[in-house]
Amino acid sequence: MMQFPYPRKTSQPQAYTSARASTLHRRRSLRNLLPYLLSGLALFVFIIYLFRPSSPTPPDRNPPPGTSKVVIVTPIDPSLSPSHANDIKENRRDYAQRHGYETFFPSTEDYDLMPNVPSTWATVPALRHALTLHPHTQWLFYLTPTALIMNTREPLSDKVLTPSKLESLMIVDKPVVPPDSVIKTFSHLKGERVDFVLAQDHDGLAGGSLLIRNTDWAKFFLDAWFDPLYRSYNFQKAEGHALEHIVQWHGTVLAKLALVPQRVLNSYTRDTGSSGEGIYQEGDFVANFHGCARDAARNCEEEMKPLMSRWRELRDGQRG
Amino acid sequence: MSLSRSPSPRREGGWSSPGLTTPYDDSNGRSRSPRKAYGGLESPGGGGGGGVTWASAKANSARVNGYPSYQSQNKGFFSRHMRKLSESLPYFAHGGQEDRFAEKEKLGRGRRGGLGGSWKDVPARIALLLSRRRKYLALVVLAFLAVLLWFSKPITYWYRRSSMFGGGSKFVIILGANQGGGVMEWKGAREWAIERDSVKNKKKYAAEWGYELEIVDMSTKKRYAHEWRESWEKVDVIRNSMRKYPDAEWFWWLDLNTFVMEPSYSLQKHIFNDLGATTYRDINVYNPLNVHHPPNGTSGDPDSPEYQNYLDPLTSSPVGDNLPESINLIVPQDCGGFNLGSFFVRRSAWSDRLLDVWWDPVFYEQRHMEWEHKEQDALEYIYTNQPWIRPHTAFIPQRSINAFPQGACGDDKGLPKGGCASLKATDDPQECGIQGVHYQESERDFLVNMAGCEWGRDCWGEMYNFRQLSNRLNRSLWEKFKDGISEWWEGKEEGKNKKKSG
Repeated sequence: MMQFPYPRKTSQPQAYTSARASTLHRRRSLRNLLPYLLSGLALFVFIIYLFRPSSPTPPDRNPPPGTSKVVIVTPIDPSLSPSHANDIKENRRDYAQRHGYETFFPSTEDYDLMPNVPSTWATVPALRHALTLHPHTQWLFYLTPTALIMNTREPLSDKVLTPSKLESLMIVDKPVVPPDSVIKTFSHLKGERVDFVLAQDHDGLAGGSLLIRNTDWAKFFLDAWFDPLYRSYNFQKAEGHALEHIVQWHGTVLAKLALVPQRVLNSYTRDTGSSGEGIYQEGDFVANFHGCARDAARNCEEEMKPLMSRWRELRDGQRG
Repeated sequence: MSLSRSPSPRREGGWSSPGLTTPYDDSNGRSRSPRKAYGGLESPGGGGGGGVTWASAKANSARVNGYPSYQSQNKGFFSRHMRKLSESLPYFAHGGQEDRFAEKEKLGRGRRGGLGGSWKDVPARIALLLSRRRKYLALVVLAFLAVLLWFSKPITYWYRRSSMFGGGSKFVIILGANQGGGVMEWKGAREWAIERDSVKNKKKYAAEWGYELEIVDMSTKKRYAHEWRESWEKVDVIRNSMRKYPDAEWFWWLDLNTFVMEPSYSLQKHIFNDLGATTYRDINVYNPLNVHHPPNGTSGDPDSPEYQNYLDPLTSSPVGDNLPESINLIVPQDCGGFNLGSFFVRRSAWSDRLLDVWWDPVFYEQRHMEWEHKEQDALEYIYTNQPWIRPHTAFIPQRSINAFPQGACGDDKGLPKGGCASLKATDDPQECGIQGVHYQESERDFLVNMAGCEWGRDCWGEMYNFRQLSNRLNRSLWEKFKDGISEWWEGKEEGKNKKKSG
């Protein structure tokens, strides 16, 4: 019964109910139900509002169209011979061009390092600089100047960066610094949560080839890594040891780290350990002439020549 | 009441429907609508003679007015539903019989009342309001109000705590008790008294606004495998509190030697509702440490390429993105730099990172001899040298959360005449604004921090004085009145004594 102060019925009963009357009736009852429906809806919206995720998604997460997904960063020492420096750049540019990536080749003298600090420290501000120049890129790929990209077929996303691929490659529960560091990589880590990918060689983290996701975490990580007190501490392997130090002492760094097998990112041309696991074989992604710059008895340019010409052959073969 | 059809006015006025003209229309003989039954009271003039019933009076007035006062239109929700609502309330057991007596009595009274002005029928109106059925409702309302009053404290507490309304449970006060105690020194009676007073003060404040209070034992213990970390526990304590109160957002660190002077200020109203205005981001505004912003080179060589050249615009901006939402750390600056006697940290991924890098063995090894103030010096260092900290750090004028007593930071420069509100842009700000450090009674500063009192000052004496001052400033009106009288009396007595002696 509808709520009126008195019943609205005449004493004469209706002879019949027309179709029109019944739709009218239905419409009326609908109109009566409307407030309840509306209030129900309002309650529903309110509940959704209450339980909404507290952090709204940042609006500028979507990069503008046309920005590359990866920036390849290689700082070039100005003391290198120009032709060699050009070869190294050409090697990166070729890979970048194939997959639509950007490249960035700063000089190691661009940045204000402290006196008596190895120039390899320039790696860290160079990466930070790349983030500034390419604010919408998704990943940074740092490759040391002593390494060459030998296999250009696969893009980085297929090779490592897809979360499922990364999860399948990740080495979990492994001492960060072999053989016996008490700090081990996380055993339960989601691929999407990883912001930092690198390999391990026989005596620690192999910092010659790194992948860093462009996030706030990256800024924190790079700034902390570049702290003046680490630079002045005279770590034996400079930025490499500083990296091992922060990974082991700071959980917020370790929580973003994924180790992958060495030959995925960073094969060495010379075996420096006993196992010989990370030795470069034809078809590997990267050939790293690890230690050639540090060791006065070695000459990087000479050492790299054979593989450089091999890379050219491969490139021209693919083009032809 | 059941009408077989809608009432319609007759041509000569009045109503064709008999049901509406008599209050005793029900089959029970019970008055359905007492308000109508007492209608005569509302218009005492219209009643006329003694034996006139409401019905006939109504009919008369209707005829005079020419149109019925009763409207058959639906006037609105309440006019449509009130009857239904009131009908659903239970009746009293003794039905209409007594109603009738009551009505007659009241009619008589109404006539007497009708002689005077309108205020005279106020009691009658109240009686009308409290007619039997409404009495029941009034009783319910009264009972409800009584319950509210009785439980007003727990209810306000719950209201202020709830994250939906007051949001008090979003704040955790961390009070570091027993600082430097334990193996380092013994506590004497004064130390215990200070601790008792300070804890009581914070407990009261937290209870007032529904905040969480976490009192932590900071006594030096062999807590770490690497023992050098001792007396750097602030960081660990904040982290533990974040774990313990997973729903809280802001964590307020307080040293033991602090005293909340104005417990009536809530943190929300005092600071957080308008975080953009109560804090400042640009360290160049007030920079006792001379931190260079934007960050410059670390080599000290003026010809070296700028340190700045690789940083993104957000990091090198003096104010970050300048949005209050991006503030994760709020630190006051005293005359010598950051002061961590009272500061805020917000739960966020950013603060996790900050709390993580705050202590580092390599930093410690190189600097622990210089870093006298431990965490405080370390924070100043990482703020200066790690640019990612800056866009998420805000500073707050010292006096708003961490005022110092006179002499803790040079001399109290005092206030301009007429208080800080009268300050002009050209005037010397003295203790006003961002550079103000010392507690100002007339500005009613929120919290006082007796920083450094353990070195050559009297902590207990200072705490005692500030407690007394706070009590005096926050007296109730009644207490002020009483004190006023006793002071006046004392003044008079003194005057007399002076006269006698003089």
